[in-house]
Amino acid sequence: MLRIDLASRVPVYEQIANGLRAELVSGEFNPGEKLPTVRTLAIDLGVHHNTVAEAYRQLANEGWLELRRHHGAIVLERDRPEAGPDTMDRFTRRLADGLSPRLLAREMIEIAQRLERKATS
Amino acid sequence: MIQVPIDIHNIIAITNGGVGVLGAAVFWFLPRLTRPDLYFAVTVPRPFRDGPEGKSILRRYRIELIVVLVLAFILFVAGIAWLGVGFTSAAPLIESAAAFIPFYRARQRVLPHAVAPTMIREAELHPVNHVIPGGWIAASGPFILLAGFAAYLWIHGMPSDGSSSGQPGGFPIRSLIVYLLSTGAILGVQTLTLYGLVHWVRPVYAGGPERAHELKFRRTVSAIVLGAEYYVTIQASWIILAPRHNGLLTVGLLPLVFVFVLVVIVLLARLGQGGSRMPTNHQRLSTTSTEPVGDRTPDRYWKLGVFYFIQDDSAVFVEKRFGLGYSLNFARPTAWLILSLILLAPLITILAHLTRFLPRAGA
Repeated sequence: MLRIDLASRVPVYEQIANGLRAELVSGEFNPGEKLPTVRTLAIDLGVHHNTVAEAYRQLANEGWLELRRHHGAIVLERDRPEAGPDTMDRFTRRLADGLSPRLLAREMIEIAQRLERKATS
Repeated sequence: MIQVPIDIHNIIAITNGGVGVLGAAVFWFLPRLTRPDLYFAVTVPRPFRDGPEGKSILRRYRIELIVVLVLAFILFVAGIAWLGVGFTSAAPLIESAAAFIPFYRARQRVLPHAVAPTMIREAELHPVNHVIPGGWIAASGPFILLAGFAAYLWIHGMPSDGSSSGQPGGFPIRSLIVYLLSTGAILGVQTLTLYGLVHWVRPVYAGGPERAHELKFRRTVSAIVLGAEYYVTIQASWIILAPRHNGLLTVGLLPLVFVFVLVVIVLLARLGQGGSRMPTNHQRLSTTSTEPVGDRTPDRYWKLGVFYFIQDDSAVFVEKRFGLGYSLNFARPTAWLILSLILLAPLITILAHLTRFLPRAGA
């Protein structure tokens, strides 16, 4: 399930992209599976379809999705980021502290994004 | 023995009167049929509705409702006396306009207690089955029936004793075309609504028992629309094909409208607008905060509490805040298309009448 908070300061398209990325990283979708169409997701979330389209484009640029006109978004095979032993210990401790796995996944993604941005710049 | 004259006008009047009484009952119960944290189309804290203030607002609303409905009835009777039985078709309009006054006044009293709904939105990413009852085969049935009816008339000609005006010699071909076109337009808009109920509705909950209940409600509304499609087709065929005695059989199906409306109201009220009859599992809210969920739309997007207007929402249909069923998002062009199509059927009939009668008027 994808959840966004319209009252958050994080732009909605980024929340959608982060939420979907968390689902993709956790293996909720297999390669070749379809995500909901832009329109369907926009209706379900009650946001403008351009907002969802922007999130999909972002994920397509990162290699998670293939966007086909009139066919929706198809999940691609992609290397998933793997954590080292130190990171694993750190995250295990965070989970033991009571952080939900979903929020942890989101946190990991945000770290990965920052690293990716740093690498490209 | 007293003999009650059976007359078309009496049947029409009784049917409309019955529907009017049902409408009044709906307005009476409606504030209790919405979601618990929506009261007179305003988002309120969940306990507000059953609190002393909420109950007092409801009492006042009901007293005002009785007063305006009595006034509306007097206006209605005066209208019939002045303009004739044809005025009965204005009954739903008069009743709705009258009931809007106490609703609006109650809403003004609730507004100071309004709170912001949660702004958490959810979506199910795996496909959900939103099937129309009977699938598209059942949905195409009325069109097939109508086409079959047109083909029958084409092959066998018009019934010799049938005409809408009671004149012998059958239905003029031009009237028949107009008749088929307007029936087709009604069916078209109903089918578009069916499609919209599958693809264009914004759900309030993305999972859990609330979601299952919403889907059940949506399927029921779809079944009602489908039933209405079949009714329209059967009545359209009946009016022309059935042999008539003083035009009585023409309106023979009218009392069925009353039964249909009654069943629809009972069904929708039982399933609840996600309202009083929804599973009341208060613990299972989609947000951990204490904010009310409502329908997850801020109040400012509901003009007068009944018209939903927001550009940033892609949904064409949303749950009504005060009413049973779904409302249109008037910021979407599709909503205006649907509305135009709804107006198209009577427009075709009016235009056809104008073009048919204008030369006579000039002659």
